[in-house]
Amino acid sequence: MSDSLTEYPFDLRPAPEAVAHQQRIAVDRPLTRVAMQYGDEAWAIHRYGVAQQVLTDPRFVRGPFARRERTVPAAFEFPEFLLDTLQFADGDEHKKLRRLVQVAISPRRVQALRERTAEIANELIDDMIAKGDTANLAEDYATPLPIRVLSEFIGVPVEDQPKFILWATTVLSLDTPEDEVLATGMELYSYLLDLIAARREDPREDLLSSLANARDKDDTLTDAEIMPIAMILLVAGFDNTAGFLAAGVSALLRNGDQRERLLEDLDGRIAPAVEEILRHAMFEVGSPMAGGMGTVAMVATEDVDLDGVLVKAGEAVYVDPASVNHDPAAFKDSQIFDILREDSPQMMLSYGIHSCLGAPLARMEMQVGIAELFRRLPTLRLNGEIVRNMHVLTIPVTDLPVAW
Amino acid sequence: MGSVVYTQPDGTVRELEAEAGQSVMQLATKNGVRGILAQCGGTLSCATCHVYVDETDLADCGPLADFEDDMLDTTAADRLDCSRLSCQVKVGEGQTIRVTIPPTQL
Repeated sequence: MSDSLTEYPFDLRPAPEAVAHQQRIAVDRPLTRVAMQYGDEAWAIHRYGVAQQVLTDPRFVRGPFARRERTVPAAFEFPEFLLDTLQFADGDEHKKLRRLVQVAISPRRVQALRERTAEIANELIDDMIAKGDTANLAEDYATPLPIRVLSEFIGVPVEDQPKFILWATTVLSLDTPEDEVLATGMELYSYLLDLIAARREDPREDLLSSLANARDKDDTLTDAEIMPIAMILLVAGFDNTAGFLAAGVSALLRNGDQRERLLEDLDGRIAPAVEEILRHAMFEVGSPMAGGMGTVAMVATEDVDLDGVLVKAGEAVYVDPASVNHDPAAFKDSQIFDILREDSPQMMLSYGIHSCLGAPLARMEMQVGIAELFRRLPTLRLNGEIVRNMHVLTIPVTDLPVAW
Repeated sequence: MGSVVYTQPDGTVRELEAEAGQSVMQLATKNGVRGILAQCGGTLSCATCHVYVDETDLADCGPLADFEDDMLDTTAADRLDCSRLSCQVKVGEGQTIRVTIPPTQL
């Protein structure tokens, strides 16, 4: 396979080769112009510093996509409902909504959920142990844990959780017929509308209650404002966390020295370990990796110089987080999986105004989920290969066979 | 020029020179000071750059920014009277601002 510096994006290759290629590209140039399957061409950002600059520069916007003036440049057709979410809002409109939601999903709020998350984790581990000494960790633990935590956090009643989960996963599917996705989306939408109305009437300690009763200076949030927030939390809140949980456990099991370092001081080391998992674990699960994934693109509103490259007004840019997280200028020996890496401001959860809204929740779930698993099952080992479903937007892990 | 003195929860102290107008958060993230995450990059929407300002320096930090007060109620570590979000605290010419980093931001 060619390893030419000009080759980007690049096809699947063994993960260590993929990392080395990312590193060389970041040294060679800050951006690459890429033809996308959907939408216009876009610039992929490889350098950490440029990514930071773009993600905090108000001259880069997403309004043209939200207004349907342009198609989002991406490797897939962007689901229509996502265009109405916070992720595509700019400026003051975004600021108003983001801040109200941020209060509801803040570090403090999430801290309060830590104990409950550990309880759920231990219930799932009890169930695995009761069944024997092997499990599919994806199905039995990594997926149900964030689903149950998020359902409780949002405020979905326990009895409705199975159908809620089915709806939420169907709307993300890339190979379910469009009319079926649409019908399921409508069911989910009206279910959430009813729940918001109920929580407005009778508030509880959950996110929908907070949003249903949140006030900014002028008025309370409308249903039309709350719905996209609830929808994006669903989209990002299930599979991404599950995927990183599974990848993190797999990476630790494949790197015995790192697993030992973690077990030496589980509670003290789990936080930096999770940052390193977010940065690099996908490259340590034994699967080949390709180059070219990216955050949602933004459009330049005027000509902007990025590290010597002129991005013209109207051109789109996006960050390749895998590339940025292996930029040698920002991360020393970035190919090494080191759970005690210091000063590692990885960008997997993005950065700036559109940085991951659920980041505090995702981090807490990963910290608790991985720590409780190794506390209860310190002899955990791999019992097969990791499998991911390439037909769903978030590429969820479907199989991670383990034994103990 | 001004300066910021960062004290970690374990007592480790690091002093850095700041350009006038630079925020306490920008200086920290640029120089790899541990414990100041600033995930939102200074747009006042994540509450992960929380610091406790030395009481003698509080007056140099300016008033609480719009919405900073609300965000300070959401930090992971307890809010104290001297709590600020370091992205909103700018170092003035000739000023030295002393801050202590809380035990957690998440």
